[in-house]
Parts: sequence; C-alpha cells; structure tokens
Amino acid sequence: MNILEMKGVSKAFGGAKALKDVHFSVAESEIHALLGENGAGKSTLMNILTGVIPMDSGHIEFEGVDYPHPTIMEMESVGIAFVHQEINVVNDLTVYENIFLNRELKNKLGFLDKKSMIKSTTELFRNLGVNIDPNNMVSELKTSEKQLLEICRALHEDAKLLILDEPTTALSSQEVDHLFGILRRLREKGKSFIFISHKMPEIFEIAQSYTVFRNGNYVSSGAIKDTTPHQIAADMVGEEYIDENLYISRPLGETIMEVENLTGHGFSEVTLSLRKGEIVAFTGLAGSGASELMQTMFGVLPSVSGHIKIKKKVVDGNITSFMKNGVGMLPSNRKENSVLPDMTILENIYIAEHSISRKKPIISNKKEIENYHSLKKMLRIKAQSHLDPIHSLSGGNQQKIFLGRWVNTEAEVLLFDNPTQGVDVGAKAEIYKLILGFACKGKTVIINTLEIPEIKKVSDRCFVFFEGKVIKELTHAEINERDVMLYSTNANYDKGV
Amino acid sequence: MSTNNKDNILIKAVKIISKAWTKYSFVFVFAIVLVVYILTIQANGNTFRWGHISSILSSQNTVIVGTIALGMALVIITGQIDLSVGSSLVLCSGVTIMAFNVTNNILLTLLAALGAGAICGLINGLLAGFAKMPPFIVTLGTMLIYRSLTLSFVREIDPKITGSSSSQFSLISENSNYEFLRMQFGTGSFPGISVPYITMVFVLTMLLFLLISKNTKYGKSVYAVGSNEKAAHLSGIRVQWTKVTVFIIVGILVGLGSFVQACKIGNVTPASSGKSYEMYAIAAVVLGGVSMSGGKGNLLGVFFGALSYTTINFIIVSIPSLSTDIQDTFQGLVLILVILVQTVGPVIKERFIDFRKRQKTKQLDAT
Repeated sequence: MNILEMKGVSKAFGGAKALKDVHFSVAESEIHALLGENGAGKSTLMNILTGVIPMDSGHIEFEGVDYPHPTIMEMESVGIAFVHQEINVVNDLTVYENIFLNRELKNKLGFLDKKSMIKSTTELFRNLGVNIDPNNMVSELKTSEKQLLEICRALHEDAKLLILDEPTTALSSQEVDHLFGILRRLREKGKSFIFISHKMPEIFEIAQSYTVFRNGNYVSSGAIKDTTPHQIAADMVGEEYIDENLYISRPLGETIMEVENLTGHGFSEVTLSLRKGEIVAFTGLAGSGASELMQTMFGVLPSVSGHIKIKKKVVDGNITSFMKNGVGMLPSNRKENSVLPDMTILENIYIAEHSISRKKPIISNKKEIENYHSLKKMLRIKAQSHLDPIHSLSGGNQQKIFLGRWVNTEAEVLLFDNPTQGVDVGAKAEIYKLILGFACKGKTVIINTLEIPEIKKVSDRCFVFFEGKVIKELTHAEINERDVMLYSTNANYDKGV
Repeated sequence: MSTNNKDNILIKAVKIISKAWTKYSFVFVFAIVLVVYILTIQANGNTFRWGHISSILSSQNTVIVGTIALGMALVIITGQIDLSVGSSLVLCSGVTIMAFNVTNNILLTLLAALGAGAICGLINGLLAGFAKMPPFIVTLGTMLIYRSLTLSFVREIDPKITGSSSSQFSLISENSNYEFLRMQFGTGSFPGISVPYITMVFVLTMLLFLLISKNTKYGKSVYAVGSNEKAAHLSGIRVQWTKVTVFIIVGILVGLGSFVQACKIGNVTPASSGKSYEMYAIAAVVLGGVSMSGGKGNLLGVFFGALSYTTINFIIVSIPSLSTDIQDTFQGLVLILVILVQTVGPVIKERFIDFRKRQKTKQLDAT
C-alpha cells in the first residue's frame, strides 16, 4: 500500500516550468530513492510536499487523506519530516534540548522538566542504536552526529515519512554504514523514507525503489532490483550520458612541487613529489588529514615542521605567497568557501586573478569580458549574461566557475578539494574531463575525494591517507575500489598484513 | 484570449518596474521626496526655482554628511560599521582650523585635515579590522574618546591658535588666505552655473569613489570581503588589510569633510558640531540602497541618499506649522518607510505574480 501519492503536480517559477505534471508515490516501509540532476525538480517537489511552496495544480494524498493546500504545520503534524542537506540543528543548545525544541516538557510549576527530557532522549537513542550523550552541546558533535540528531528529532516527533536530502555528503564511509544500519532498522519498524542522493552505490545499497526526474519531468520509476546503475544514470542525464573511460596515459614533465617531511594540523611526516602534468588523488576517510594537507599546501593552515618546495624553492607563509608561486586551491564546501553570493558571475571568476595582480589596480572591463567568454567556452559553462548573479547558475556550473577562478590565475598546480561535491552526474563527468584537459596542458592537479571510481577515471597516482599519514601510494594500474577502501579503513593493519 | 494578453503585459510591467526598483531604488526615493518638496513649496505660495536645488546641493547635510557617507558605505559593504565619524569630524575640524591659523597655508591645512582623519580611521581600523574586535564597540569607544579629547583640548590651547576664546575653533580672519578660503571657496559658486564649489568637491569625490568601487581590484575586494569573507580569504584577498583600509578611507573622507566644513562655516564647536552625523551618514547609506549586512550597494546610491536626506530636512523646515524639534521624527519615519518598501516590495511582487498565476489556472480549469 502506498503511504504517499502525488499525482499530476505542476509548478512554474515565473516563466520556467519546474515541474510538469509529475507523479510520485512511496510505499509503506520502503526507502525510495528520488533521483535526478540538479534542477530536475526534486527539491521543488519536496518543498511542495512539505508545504514550503504551493503547487500550481495537482493532488497530494498522504495515508489516504487528500491535502489540496498543504502547509508546513499541517504536513509536519501528519508525520512528514524534512531532514535538510544543510543541517538544521541549534549549535548552542544541548542534544536533548534540540530533540525537544519547541515541544519542551514542563513540570507542574511550568519549569522545564530536564530529567524526563534527558530520560526520553536516552531511550530514543538506545532504541535507534545512536551513541550520543544527550547532555553534550551540539556544537561539539561531529557532522555525522548532527545528521543523526536531526533524524532522531524527526522520529521523536513521530514522523512516518522522512525526507533525507543528500544525507551522506558530509559523512565518511563508516558513518554512512552506521546511518544505513539505523535506516534499515527503522524501515523494518514501518517507517518510510524518501532518499535524495547523487551517489549511485549508496542507492543500490539502501533503497528498494526509485523514481527518476529530468528537467521537471517524470522519467521512470520501479524496483531497484530490476534496474542497473547504468540504466538509472542514463535516465537521469538523457542522451548526453557517456560513461567513457577518460584516462589517457601521457608523458609527465619534471618535478614541480615537493613536500618534505611535512607535519601540520591533522597530518604528520608526509613526503611526496608531483610532476608537471600529473594528476594525483588524495583519498581517505573524514579526519584522515588529506584535506588538511591540501590546505597547508596552499598556505591556509600553517605547517609545524618540514618544507614545501615549488620548482626547488622553499615556499612558506600565507595564501598570497603560494598563489604567487603558481598554486591555486578549490576548497570543499562550495557555498561556504567559494561562492561570493552578492556578486556577479564575472566578479566571481575574477576575484583570485584580481588579488594576484593587485599591483595593476585598474580593471579593464573589455579584456575581462573577452577572457570570460573564452573561459566559458573552454569550461563549457551554461550561463546567460556575465552580469547575472552567481546564484542564477546550477551547482555544476557554479563549480566550473570556481575551477575557472584558478585557471584564470594561470596557476600551474591546482589543488581541488572534493571538486564534485553536490554536483550532478552529468556535471561530474564534465568536471573530470576538464581536469584531464588541464593535465594535458601541463598543469599539475591534486584531487582530494572519497569517490573511488572517479579516482580511477583520471588519476596517475593515488595517495591513501589514514590518521594523518600516507598509508599507501598506488599507481594508476593498482587503483581499484576494493584496495583503496581496504587501505583507507586500514583493514590491512588489523589483519597484520 | 485578450484578458490573457493583458495579464501578461501587466506581469511584465510589474517585473520591469520591480527590477528597476531593486537596482535604482535610490533614484525613485529621491524623485518622490523631490516631488513632495516642490509641492510643499508651491503650497506655501512660492514657485520652485533652481535656487532651491542649489541650496539642497550646498547644504551641510548633502556635502559633509554625503562625503562621510561615501566612506561609511565602504565600511558597511565590508560588513562593519563606524560610529565615530561625527566625533572625528570635530577632532579633524579642530586640527584643520588650527593648522590654518598657524600656517596660513591652504595646502598644509588640507593635508592636516586629511592626515588627522586618516589617523582617526587607522586607529579604528587597527582595532576593528586587525585586532578583530567588534567594530560597533570599537567605534563606540573612539566616538566618546575623539569628542572628549577635542572638548578638553579646546580649553587648554592658546586662543591665538584655536582662533577663539569661547571653547570653539575658529578660522582667524586676519590671515591673508582667509578671504579666499571662506568667501571664494567655502561659500562661493562656480560662475555661470551657480553650483557651489563645495558641491563640486563632493561630486568629484563621489565620482572618484564610484570609479574605485566599480573599476578597481581594490573596490571589488571590498565587496568580496562583505559578501563572503571566507571565500574572499581563500581567493587570496587580504581580508584584514581590506577591513583596515576602509576605515582609513572613511577617516580621510571625514578629514575632507572637516576641511569643507571649516571653509563653509569658519568655526566648529566641539560640544555640538557633528553630533549624530554617524547616524545621518548611515541613514544616507541606507536611503542609497546599501545593504546593512554587507556585500551589496552602489555608491551612486549614497549620493542620491544624501540628497534625499537633505531634501526631507528641507520639506520639514518649509512647513511653517512644524517645529524643528519634530524633524528627527519625520526623518526616522521616512527611513523606516524606505526600508519597509525595500524589504516588503519583492514579497508583494511575488505574491502578485502568484495570485495572477493561480487565477489563470482556475480559468483554465473552468474551460
């Protein structure tokens, strides 16, 4: 039996049709994957379902009841909970206070009944197998724990249908396993989930059924066991999708950057060297030190001991001196670390170039626009006017703008921290193609990512990090999903290999 | 079918107007205020003349507050605030007047004015931008300090240097350059077009800073810091340096304002001059459409904001039945009204479009 039925839902923003007569249904106690590229209409549909925005036409039926004009309050009260991609917990309160936010228990005198709240939180956590102390401050929790907390809060409100919007983006694979364990248990207890994700392996691991949207249209749906990742990917991107093997073996140049015995925040005694035109991957679980090493190689974090050499010259100090020596870094978390939200596309792509060439203070508009158009063509950015705000672009195109930010500085060493984060399948493939293109033009690229198939697609070498150390260096031929996973969880060590 | 077309045209018109409104709201605000001013003049039985415009242009509120507001806008765009500008204005005016009284040299006087302003700004900048203390508190502190220092110095210093024995700084009229500074530059107008010189100084300063904000890498970095500090830092922008420099710039503009004030008025009273100027400057910035949360705003808007602010003053003064005491009430109300329109406007627009759309689908359902 279906717990949720949405039929003939349409929605337009201005002239743009975000949803065109789509259907979507979720059965009782199932995990239903909702798939589609950015802009396919997933978020719009979920916002309609939870009453955030009104639909232009269509029907919503939840547990057999019709909701012609759902509101946020109404949908919450009937048991639909939205666990957002950006984590919505209050950092300055304790865990149990978050669970009871807006529905605090009170004693006879009208004061907060802490004891009962803590007790009931402990019970909830025990039932779910969550290992968090209810008295902890939320600000001290790890991202994954915050995510779990948000799910727990929804369950505590007795949600029957939980919408999880890319819940695994910020999690390491162990944490994902833990989360999935909990989801499976909850499913057995009769809860339903709408699971929004870009990661194919996860979907095949956790979901029972799926629905694919493309450009605001319903494309396909069915049981996961009757389909293949390839089929779903093809449904998502339409005919554009080509799962080609991108890797090209090519001659590498001389050594350009060397890291010698470098120790810093979260990593120690790392030694490695990079050659001109090489693509190197860093990988490791969250907290492995790979991201911190990358930030130290760009002067964001200070090193404790050891050297970084570029073209045999020791480089030390802040971001500016690394930029002057031809290094550029695309940080992770686009929204937080890359987007200048109030500024135009042109300003966003030029900001790093401006800070490197500040000795010539005047901007030449004509030259910048010309250059922007050639970058736009090279990076295949889909944008209307260079004066549009950066927010008018989809996630993938924004990310290409930020790649362009460093192409624009003519950096020779490009550090990309999680470059395909929050980017849809089509754009992912394009970004990796661009990365190979950079390498073919003699740029050196380091990618820090957890997506092992992507590492295999482009990189010449892969460094696996575990607890702040390089635990294994793999050549292109040696890279495979199983080995990388083994090393990054340090499973070999445990077996004494 | 024809109703449908009408609807489309209506929606399009609303969209165009709302787009222009969001981008050039400051021009609309000034136009509305100006129309009201013209109406009140005519209601008083007078005819509107160029002289009215010219007095708006040369008013202290336009020229001095406006000059300061240009710098204030940059500070606000980086996401900070400067409450000390009114106090540093009297401090700088004191320095300016004393410099003139001692040297009788116009260039040295101007340099002293700009230098004093730059130092006031540098102190704010180092504390707020460099030592990362909250700018609101830092400049609240220096606001108290700058004025009280001026108040106590004016009594201690020889009247031959301050130019006055009554707790005032005053230009000494015996100096040979007094005539030029006060009569020709300070209160004079460009021959032929009757635009005051001090207004031209303000307009030129505005154009210079408009150019800096739009066409230099420094200008872009100011916006970037206010838009997303972390992203700006990771793009190689020297965030702290940028934050310090905007304070120095507002300081220099305060210095320029104090020079103009000395030339226009000839004296300054530390106890009362420049009081609440920080608020007037912030008001002009906000009327000019600059976002208080940083990252957004146009310095051309600040120019119009200063004009609107002065005109509102003039309207109130020109209504005989209103006492000047009530002036601030009206200014406050207009300020709140403008912000209300700026924030509520887009919401109304969206509701309107939504409403039209729902009506349309209803019509389609009916047929």
